[in-house]
Amino acid sequence: MSVPILELRNVSKTFPGLRALDRVSFSVSPGEIIGLIGRNGSGKSTLVKVLAGIHRSDRGSEIVLGARGRMGSDPEDRPQMHFLHQELGLVSMLTTIENLNLSNDVGKARILPVARKRERRRAEELIGHLGAHFDVTKPVGELAPAERAIVAIARVLGRWTHRQNVLVLDEPTAALERSGVITLFDAVRQAASDGAGVIFISHRLDEVMELADRTIALRDGVVVADLATSDCNYDQLVRLIVGPDVATEQHQFNRDVGKPLLSVRGLRGSSSRGSKVRVTSLEVRAGEIVGVAGLLGSGRDELLGLIFGSRVGSVSEMTIADQNLGRPNMRTALSLGVGYVSADRARDGVIMSFSARENLTLPWLRPLTRHFGRLDASAERYDSKKWLGMVGLQPLKPEFRLMIFSGGNQQKVALARWLRTQAKILLLDEPTQGVDVAAKAAIYDLMLSAAREGTAVLFSSSDARELAALSDRVLVMCDGTIAKTLEGTSLTEANIVQESHGFV
Amino acid sequence: MTEQVDRRSVKVAHWFRESLSFRNVSSLYLLVVICIVFAFWVSAKFYTVGDLKTILESQTATALASVGLMIPMAAGAFDLAIGAEVGLGVVLVSWLLAKAGIPMVPAIAVTLIVGGFVGLVSAILITRIRIDSFIATLAISSVLTAAALWITSDEQIVGLSSTFDKISTQQVFGITVPVYILLGVSLCVWYVMEVTPLGRRVYATGGNIEAARLAGVATAKVITFSLIACGVLAALAGVVESASLGGGDPTIGPSYLLPAFTATFLGSTQFRRGRFNIWGTIVAVYVLQAGIQGLELAGAPVWIPDLFDGVALAAAVGLARFELRSESGAAIRRLLRFGSTRKTGRNSHDVEGPAGGEVA
Repeated sequence: MSVPILELRNVSKTFPGLRALDRVSFSVSPGEIIGLIGRNGSGKSTLVKVLAGIHRSDRGSEIVLGARGRMGSDPEDRPQMHFLHQELGLVSMLTTIENLNLSNDVGKARILPVARKRERRRAEELIGHLGAHFDVTKPVGELAPAERAIVAIARVLGRWTHRQNVLVLDEPTAALERSGVITLFDAVRQAASDGAGVIFISHRLDEVMELADRTIALRDGVVVADLATSDCNYDQLVRLIVGPDVATEQHQFNRDVGKPLLSVRGLRGSSSRGSKVRVTSLEVRAGEIVGVAGLLGSGRDELLGLIFGSRVGSVSEMTIADQNLGRPNMRTALSLGVGYVSADRARDGVIMSFSARENLTLPWLRPLTRHFGRLDASAERYDSKKWLGMVGLQPLKPEFRLMIFSGGNQQKVALARWLRTQAKILLLDEPTQGVDVAAKAAIYDLMLSAAREGTAVLFSSSDARELAALSDRVLVMCDGTIAKTLEGTSLTEANIVQESHGFV
Repeated sequence: MTEQVDRRSVKVAHWFRESLSFRNVSSLYLLVVICIVFAFWVSAKFYTVGDLKTILESQTATALASVGLMIPMAAGAFDLAIGAEVGLGVVLVSWLLAKAGIPMVPAIAVTLIVGGFVGLVSAILITRIRIDSFIATLAISSVLTAAALWITSDEQIVGLSSTFDKISTQQVFGITVPVYILLGVSLCVWYVMEVTPLGRRVYATGGNIEAARLAGVATAKVITFSLIACGVLAALAGVVESASLGGGDPTIGPSYLLPAFTATFLGSTQFRRGRFNIWGTIVAVYVLQAGIQGLELAGAPVWIPDLFDGVALAAAVGLARFELRSESGAAIRRLLRFGSTRKTGRNSHDVEGPAGGEVA
């Protein structure tokens, strides 16, 4: 085998209170495609960020770039590392030609008219080299997702000035149809045969098995396997990323569930907005916790918003707390006692410039309103002490602005507001996203105690462990539909992971 | 027992220091500095009691417009038509009184209603047709300027009734009526914005419109309310201005635009730490005017007020941004210094750790 093009030796990354990467070592040879697998939180993203120079690895870590030698910490000092993320970084209003040449006119003739014919020929060459053929004069925004990905790869290829290149693909297939995946893979294989080393990161184990020569599995920041892909089968990979300790653990709940509070039939996302969601039927009962699992792009992240009515969609039949709704409607849902906590706190979850108190009381100011529309300040303070204390806000300072609390505590406030309104149905999108361990436990407790009080809880999560630990039932989404419902003895962490990956 | 008293007195002292800190009430300090500087510079002419009264009375229209503008700004909607709305108020009430011969009270009422209607139109453009508030109100502004010219045929309207003129000259306890109007309006706006649920929802909409919507705030209605209120107050400013001019001047509107924006932005840096608020806005109006007045009395050339307005607007917005940024930073540092809350500091790191990164 030839000299490795990229070699990691004992790469570690420690965050305060967390070892994200623990002495990771592996190497990539020219022309080799490495599949990197692991669950959420296993350290994949941290590894990519270390390679890209966004995070600085701990002392003692060593990254060697082929003949160039050790890599410094400066992100500019790694011209042969190329990254392709899910957001491709293309300008959608410009054509393929223009996108390919965005960074190419450096040096000479910056202000001369561009040589159109030559540029076009070059663009077509680059695209054709990757085995694709499409109109390079169309704005990139009008291309199919797979074609856009190819433009992004072609741009990376076009920038290669030497042969020692490493291409890191971070979940490039999440938004692609099957045919697009095949096209993309052909392009990746072509790039590899040109002598590049490829690191391919994906949640889809079947794709990794299809594309990668070698598979590296990460678990809790440690490389747990580094083997030739031809030597392993699918079940083996699932076991590798889940780990032996929890794989067969199953859980038993004897919660009293009451009547259905939420039932939906024929839910469809708006296809004009690129939604694939088609759910035939879904029901949540009082006192029940139902989890929604699924990979990126499976529709998991859209489902709750569609039910709540904050995303555009339609239903054929929908009942919330015995009331029939013709279509999802946010305001009606709120008035019927639905509370929704969104996944992206900063964007649409809470108001950062408001104090914790103001965030808490915003959805339900009526009980605090006195004559002449006056808000009773002391009643509000009493309420905020009570509810924020109950959810364990740290530090318990209702008057502090929300922006200065940690993510976990912001999430507690977002939850507390619906506990305060005594919501009958809680829709929680990724309730523990970006939250530390202690706050996670507190949020689990709150969800469980809400369910004990008879609240119907529907929550989505990318973490199979918490889905298995909390839910009475887990709905596994795949390609916009509920592919499988896991309950009782079949509700295990391993099953959730396996079903999510769309392999039967 | 004594410890408790001690703690309370510490708290009070802390509150006192915070309230009087330079950051919190910088424009009041600025006002003092301006007074002192100009008192020495142009000692004989500047800041007799009479001058202070003149400033107070001459700026009521600007203050009314700024208070009006503060409401949509708090809701996150720019109203660039504020100047044209004042201008329309000026000519409309004059035309109704002098040309249409309508009695004073209905004329004022019609003007205010038209002002509210203008706000409603802006709101429809913003909330229904989803035009950015910046563009929508810029367009409205031009339409209103055209309307003012059309009503007046580009001529001054004079010869209003003497009872109407009296609005601006009638004194109660030595101060003219418009100041009391401003005071009354300010108290109302303060009550609505600071004490009622509606005000809370206005600030929520301005703070994060999506989060407010998901929490059940009817954001479109809130924005509509804020723009209508702004239109009515701008029209009221026009009425007051018309009374003190004794007529209608179709060209006066645009001169209100910049001072109103400067005052609301500068006001947002005062008292409420980056939140647009009524008392900050009013204080800012007078601080800015004191500065301009002083310069004028000192014999500054005619272009000074425009220069002053421009520089002050940029400075006020810069200060407002700084206020928002620095406060979160300072607060985090303060939190970290508390031993008991060290945990919070650590947690904030976790967000950028693998758990947070994975999701993106």
